[in-house]
Amino acid sequence: MNITASLGTSAPHLPPLHSSPPLRPNGTESFAIEIQNVKFSVKTKQKKLVHILEDCSIQIPSGQFWMLLGPNGCGKSTLLKILAGLLSPTDGFMYVKKPKSFVFQNPDHQVVMPTVEADVAFGLGKYRFTPEQIRCRVAKALDAVGMYEYLRRPVQTLSGGQKQRVAIAGALAEECKVLLLDELTTFLDETDQIGVIKAVKKSLASSDDVTALWVTHRLEELEYADGAVYMEDGRVIMHGDASTIMEFIEDRKNSYIRKINA
Amino acid sequence: MLYSCGVVYTLPTVTSSCRQFHTPLFKKHPIQLLPLKTLKPKFTCSASIDDAGPPRNWEKWLPKNLFSAEKVLKSISEATSSPICQFISSPITFLHTVDPRIKLAWLVVLVVLPARSHILMRFGLVAYLSLLSILILPRHVWMDQLGRVSLLSGILFIMLGLGADGAPPVVQLRTPPPSMMGLPSLPASLEGYSYIIMKLGPLQLTRKGLSVASTSASLTFSIFQSASLCLSTTTPEQLAFALQWYMRPLAYIGVPVAEVILTLLLSLRFINLVFDEVRVVALGIVSRRIYWEKFTALETIEVFFTYIRRIFNNIFSHAEQISQAMNVRGFRGDSNTHNIYFSSLSSNSMANILSIMCLVCLVGAAAVSDCFV
Repeated sequence: MNITASLGTSAPHLPPLHSSPPLRPNGTESFAIEIQNVKFSVKTKQKKLVHILEDCSIQIPSGQFWMLLGPNGCGKSTLLKILAGLLSPTDGFMYVKKPKSFVFQNPDHQVVMPTVEADVAFGLGKYRFTPEQIRCRVAKALDAVGMYEYLRRPVQTLSGGQKQRVAIAGALAEECKVLLLDELTTFLDETDQIGVIKAVKKSLASSDDVTALWVTHRLEELEYADGAVYMEDGRVIMHGDASTIMEFIEDRKNSYIRKINA
Repeated sequence: MLYSCGVVYTLPTVTSSCRQFHTPLFKKHPIQLLPLKTLKPKFTCSASIDDAGPPRNWEKWLPKNLFSAEKVLKSISEATSSPICQFISSPITFLHTVDPRIKLAWLVVLVVLPARSHILMRFGLVAYLSLLSILILPRHVWMDQLGRVSLLSGILFIMLGLGADGAPPVVQLRTPPPSMMGLPSLPASLEGYSYIIMKLGPLQLTRKGLSVASTSASLTFSIFQSASLCLSTTTPEQLAFALQWYMRPLAYIGVPVAEVILTLLLSLRFINLVFDEVRVVALGIVSRRIYWEKFTALETIEVFFTYIRRIFNNIFSHAEQISQAMNVRGFRGDSNTHNIYFSSLSSNSMANILSIMCLVCLVGAAAVSDCFV
């Protein structure tokens, strides 16, 4: 059964928006990502206005690993692209700490250079670093995702999971404050899926004050997150700690199963 | 010889109302009468030397489906996604540590030399490249590479060697014989000189044929094998760096060197995606298990056009996504302001000096050998 798809069918009975996101361990309320009432609409060829996102509000504390969950087509990737600056919101307030990096769903779109080392260093081209500084950053980023031994490997010889980790290393090399990760595990098998999540967790642990927002529709990935945001039909339904979101989704799932069996 | 001709009405089942005629002429091919609405007439003609048995089915000996759509797509879908001669990152060999600029200089020299040097020099170059490949590359790689290149060069050598003087005189140099120009005939060679080296039936290997064949074959071998060696031991970024170094003076006359180099690198990355796309879309068509025999030629062509259209659509989609990714990663469209990091692989100074010395010696030897041509 497709859990996310089934959840999407019971949208009218929604609990109130969770308004108490977990704070950082040190107790301060510094948010790496904060959006208030963000809306996003597009016009079709027939001049019809289609609302993709409506009144989305989230606050993600610094230094945490959060997940953005929801059924297909609920606007997760659109919200992430707005946060990355690839799309402009129609209305609302938005704040994202800089520098920020975005990692695409398909690693073949993210990895632009023929060799691992040159690709990880590609994002650093906009800065005036010396070759030695670039070498250090590339080595550090590849080490964080467990890919240092693949430094000079041609990209086409890597597996999907390895390419995805190279893409993450490219984002980490820029020493960004916010990592925006769009469904990285879609094309991966279970082993690579866990490998990529652990690589992100490891890199967050080794860096100071880096926040990651991970878009997914796989519930089993929620156990690795510090917090989560649940979306449906272009709206943020709930956001809070991972266990609360998990309980909420489990309740929805059980009520749906009861409804079917009744 | 008996010629027979008959009309046979074919149906899967024959009803009991059928009447059969058994005349001497149609003894072997009797006429079966069936309701006309359900019958399709089929004329068969056959010829046999004697009347001992049914006509031999010679059609089965003819090759069929030599070039079918299914075979083409299947072979594409089963092809490797990696292009030939990609960089081998380990083990790191002597050639890995040579500066890419020196390797490019070697490449140019190896392209020019076979055409401008003595025949012994050409064969020497071929032997040198073969030996270097065997020493540097892993066994399965050099066996594959040398096998293919040797086969190609060998075919060229035989064809040009035996066919160079078989070309019609129209395309050959027309020099009138000395007797027509009032000159004395050339004296016969005292050293046993002979223009024809070997005769093989109607074919002959002449000195001119040998020269043309050795030049073409060794040139082909040198170009392919030196390129293979260079690509196997140099990353695309290192090659791009070397090319940029050689092209830098052109920037003063307005050549967009940085843009050319970035385009080259993106192309080298993109070519794998194109290979993958061609393979994956072909696999998609093959997995549908299309019954190609039912298709007319036009329908088959239509499927192929759909295939090509789909490949282009996917490639353009990839290109759009990659450009978006480059934008996200900080590239603002100006190659001059966005620095490309080529490689951390440093060259070995001893290896560089040795390579340059060998190159100079080779060029010198070729220049000296040129005097003997």
